[in-house]
Amino acid sequence: MSMPAPELPGGNVVVASAALASERGRVWRSLCRGWRTRISMLVLALFAAAALWGEMAYRWAQACDRTPSYAQVDLGARYLPPSIFRHPFTAAENTTGIDVSAASKLRAGLRALARHPLGTDNLGRDVGRRLIQGARIAFQVGVVTALIAIPLGLLLGLLAGYFGGWVDDVVVWLYSTVAAIPGLLFILAIALVVGKGLTGVYLGIGLTTWVGLCRLIRGETLKQREQTYVQAARAMGLGHVRILFRQILPNVFHLVIITVSLRFPAAVSTEVFLSFLGIGVQGEPSWGVMLGNARLRLWQGMWWEMTFVTIAIFAVVLAFNLLGDALRDALDPRASAKGEL
Amino acid sequence: MGYYLFRRCLQMLPVLFGVVLISFVLFHVVGGSPAVMALGKNATPAALEEFDETRGFNRPLLCGRWTTTRAWPAWAARHGAVGSGPWEGTTGARKDASGAVIFAPGVRVVPLACPLRADTDYRWRLEVRQPSGGTLAVMTEGGALAAAVPVLSRWTEVALPFAVGAGRGNGLRVTVTGEAPLEIRAARMQRRMTHLYDSQLTHYLSQVVRLDFGVSLATNERVAEMLKQGVGPSLLLTVPIFFGGLIVSIALALICAWRRDSWLDRLTVVTAVVLMSVNYLVWIVAGQYLLAYHAGWFPIWGFDSWRCLLLPVLIGLVSGLGANLRFYRTVMLEEINRDYVRTALAKGLGTPTVLFRHVLRNAMIPIITSTVIAIPFLYTGSLLLESFFGIPGLGGLSINAINSADVDVIRGVVLVGAVLYMLANLLTDICYAWADPRIRLR
Repeated sequence: MSMPAPELPGGNVVVASAALASERGRVWRSLCRGWRTRISMLVLALFAAAALWGEMAYRWAQACDRTPSYAQVDLGARYLPPSIFRHPFTAAENTTGIDVSAASKLRAGLRALARHPLGTDNLGRDVGRRLIQGARIAFQVGVVTALIAIPLGLLLGLLAGYFGGWVDDVVVWLYSTVAAIPGLLFILAIALVVGKGLTGVYLGIGLTTWVGLCRLIRGETLKQREQTYVQAARAMGLGHVRILFRQILPNVFHLVIITVSLRFPAAVSTEVFLSFLGIGVQGEPSWGVMLGNARLRLWQGMWWEMTFVTIAIFAVVLAFNLLGDALRDALDPRASAKGEL
Repeated sequence: MGYYLFRRCLQMLPVLFGVVLISFVLFHVVGGSPAVMALGKNATPAALEEFDETRGFNRPLLCGRWTTTRAWPAWAARHGAVGSGPWEGTTGARKDASGAVIFAPGVRVVPLACPLRADTDYRWRLEVRQPSGGTLAVMTEGGALAAAVPVLSRWTEVALPFAVGAGRGNGLRVTVTGEAPLEIRAARMQRRMTHLYDSQLTHYLSQVVRLDFGVSLATNERVAEMLKQGVGPSLLLTVPIFFGGLIVSIALALICAWRRDSWLDRLTVVTAVVLMSVNYLVWIVAGQYLLAYHAGWFPIWGFDSWRCLLLPVLIGLVSGLGANLRFYRTVMLEEINRDYVRTALAKGLGTPTVLFRHVLRNAMIPIITSTVIAIPFLYTGSLLLESFFGIPGLGGLSINAINSADVDVIRGVVLVGAVLYMLANLLTDICYAWADPRIRLR
């Protein structure tokens, strides 16, 4: 009785996935070691939760067909500073005219303080709620632009590196061309052509930022193509598609993770910039819109909106930067901390 | 060397062509009508037509004999359509239930949105039928009557060529003969091009070849002039930022690399990451508010004296410092751990000599790569810094152009920026050879 021939590709996959699992464990352990990474992961979890909460609030207001809470204008409560800067005894206005006890005054005051913990803006809109909506927009922009840029850069880079020849020439020509155009202006031009709104922001950022990843993936694929495992796969008669996506892709995927961690904060910053200029999101609070509004009100002494937006953007971008460093150290120890792509 | 330069310039051509192509696709194909984008939806057809004529948008996209005209926009009957579109004001026309226009036999006048051009021919393509058959002829008011075209009893497409006469007129005179009324289901008017390849693409390419970037919509100035005027202020702003940033960050990076893992190094690295994470807008807004407005150390706005440039330069320096510092530190660290540094120190050379003569020289290649590539971005200045501080450079120009949808200006800035980027790429390679004698350009 002859042994059935072991199905090599399948067996290979099993071994590879076991190795991958242990590799994942190593990466995860090395990520969790530093307190900086832990804090940044916590910040990003908060950010994602705020984005989710904002999305829910948005959908809920849409489903009920009423003005969402973050857009409610309250002209009676304009320019309210954050709660800690308001006096609990005088926070609530005594409209009855009757002299009430200190305890009930305090109670009413504390209730008033709880309503707008981060203060209100020039139209009496709650800064905290708008901040959460801004997180939602920022998160959307980061995710959608990554969903545009990553597949594009990954696919083109893989094809160019693997096939070489005229495919490589075309891809290199394409990314050299896009890289030659001044980045921010290109984004602005795309946003202008597509029209004001988030679609323009998505396309503008997405269609210009795939270049860095494409370059990285192409270079790495060029290297991987000559490795023995690819030659073995080819000798076994595996198809190009299978070699590319089952053999080479897992070996270059760490570059994708690193790129996402670097691109996400950059996309958030670009959205802030575009919305600030009035090209980005329309009619909804985003961090850029808030920054633009806060800048005008700053001269009237309304410092808190500016401060909180700054802190929010700073926290998210810093967390991503720290996480990106940790990811790079864990996934690709040889890569330089270049920071630019 | 000469041969190398020649070959590299040849290699730049496809990329240059790609940039031209991308800007063409962006503004001519994707963007809808630039005229509407720039002048708004309520502009008169005559104004839109003039905009298109000066910028070459009223031609076929790639090639063709016939092109659309704004004098009478394309129209098609839609079931239950309300409103009469381009038929508005036509004498004696009515619509049936399917939206088709019905003309009783006789002479009708169809108004035009703007006068036609006398220097070329037009034609009217109609999808018509007339139950018992008849003829249809069209002429401009004051023009010569063209030959009548027979109309069949089933739906057919007929083309009615006509010349624009001396009167040019604001209307078309349509003559219908036959028993039954004429029905029109679809119609579009086209202008004849003098040349088959007189298209948007060739017009644009010829503009690019002649280095003619067109005319600004907002100020009616030539874009090339505007670019020339804007370069000076932009460079005044960005050159100090560039060299200041380079010197400060390289010096700090050298110190960090030398005292690696000391408290100074750690502090600098942490500061660099923190600096990197502060949004650029925040630097500008906070700097302008706190340092200029509150403290009064700098002028808030303007471009009168060198003092106006101090604050923008400072902000530009600080905002770029974090990323540069981190990058240069990594580069220096890689070099400082090499054997030749240990050897030099063992020979008894002083620290400054080793740092500046040995380490810096060897770290030159990555520094050059990141530095020279940044040079083309000097010319656009800093988009936001300029518009915030009222510096009349290219950055402020671009922001204004974006805000007023000034297509030609944006295109001009993009094209020049791309060319500079390619030249910088070439310069990088030449600098490599200068910094590292082992590299030969062939």
